[in-house]
Amino acid sequence: MTPAGDRDLPLLPPGLRERVLAASLRARDAGRPVPDAAQISPVEAFSRAASSFYTVLCFLHDDDWRTPVLRGLDVQGLAGHLIGVEEDVHRALAGDPDVADAEHVASTEAAALGQAGLRPAQTRADWRRAVDRTLDLVRPADARSRPADARSRVAVHGLRLPVTALLVVRAFELWTHENDIRQAVGWAPSVPDPSTLRLMTDLAARLLPHAAAALPEPVEVRLVLTGPGGGTWDVTMGSAPAAATVAIVADAVGFCRLAANRLTPDDLDVNVTGDPVRAAAVLAAATTLALD
Amino acid sequence: MGGSDAVLAARLAAGDDHALAEVFDALGHSVYGSALRVLGDNSAAQDVVQDVFVELWRHPGRYDPAAGTLRTYLSVLARHRAVDLVRSELRRVARQERSYRLTSAPLVPDVGDEVLTAETAGLVRSAVRLLPASQRQVVELAYFAGLTCREVAQAVGIPEGTAKSRLRLALAKLEEMLDRQLLESS
Repeated sequence: MTPAGDRDLPLLPPGLRERVLAASLRARDAGRPVPDAAQISPVEAFSRAASSFYTVLCFLHDDDWRTPVLRGLDVQGLAGHLIGVEEDVHRALAGDPDVADAEHVASTEAAALGQAGLRPAQTRADWRRAVDRTLDLVRPADARSRPADARSRVAVHGLRLPVTALLVVRAFELWTHENDIRQAVGWAPSVPDPSTLRLMTDLAARLLPHAAAALPEPVEVRLVLTGPGGGTWDVTMGSAPAAATVAIVADAVGFCRLAANRLTPDDLDVNVTGDPVRAAAVLAAATTLALD
Repeated sequence: MGGSDAVLAARLAAGDDHALAEVFDALGHSVYGSALRVLGDNSAAQDVVQDVFVELWRHPGRYDPAAGTLRTYLSVLARHRAVDLVRSELRRVARQERSYRLTSAPLVPDVGDEVLTAETAGLVRSAVRLLPASQRQVVELAYFAGLTCREVAQAVGIPEGTAKSRLRLALAKLEEMLDRQLLESS
């Protein structure tokens, strides 16, 4: 968009800009994406992420389970790690204080190593059972288990979040590790469905202030995540009055990969308005969320 | 990702109202100019500008960056809206004219009444300017001066039937002309 050739156009009547923008925002609220994804519950998002992860496990050949993935774990070890995470979540939902500040990797190491040598089908079944137990605990309608209060906070692995937010964190984690496995065995990456992705982007945006410690100074951020599951958020990073405002526009899935520490700021295609140095600092801070 | 129309469209879809303000600041006067050229009326052109930007904000996905620039898209949208307004006004005038033929009531009872506002008069004036002189004359007398067909005939010095005939021809031509404009701008 350039103003070239517009010199002969009539001047805009006074007040028209304000009138047009106000009428527009009456027709559609700012921040709301269109088309908006169908709203789903965090339980459903976690369930969908789990189904997607399980599908990958079901399609792996036995040889694939020995493929190295990350942190010295092969596919089977990573599935074991995730079994350990589920077990710690079960304990957290039961109010066990020992898992509140347990370190995410160290706490699940035994579970990860415990899968070594088992048949892949056994590991797959163990993981499925652990996830189903989590779902039983968080589905209020499930009369067989003690439903967790969705509003109550759960403390696990250093996080203190409402059950609903924790489930989105877990959906984030399952999607990230699913793609770790996909990459390791040479499969194409997957993208969450828009409804799940919308919960994930909303979570990442709301958690962004928690990454403010990684910033040299406070900053106001307008975060615009494009594509299905995206949206617009105004986030204040830092408690002191912000010295500047930056606008960051990025693809919703790409930003989630960044927040999962699977993409570097340099590899994320972004459009920045404002100080590029501050924007780079915000993106670098987003990687510290490590939603994996 | 650069500062392209595609990025603006993606930002609009994501709910970034700053993007809408940016588009207005860059293209608002162009949209207003497109509407004003068709309508010749400031108030009506402002209404069109509002319609165009509300449409863009509510349905950003209707703009396809691969099909052309945002400037072109908005200008075409403004032109269509403006032409629709004029056509709507012409249909209203035609209905009045048919009603006159049936009732022999004055074509325009009172130029100052609320039916014929300054805004709607402006819409028709801009279209009427393009008519041949003989047809423009009868339309202006009937529509803007509020004369009956009989009075128009007396003022011009032609039989009443000829005045009616010219009026019908003028209205038909205006509709045809506006249809052609619409097609050309599509």
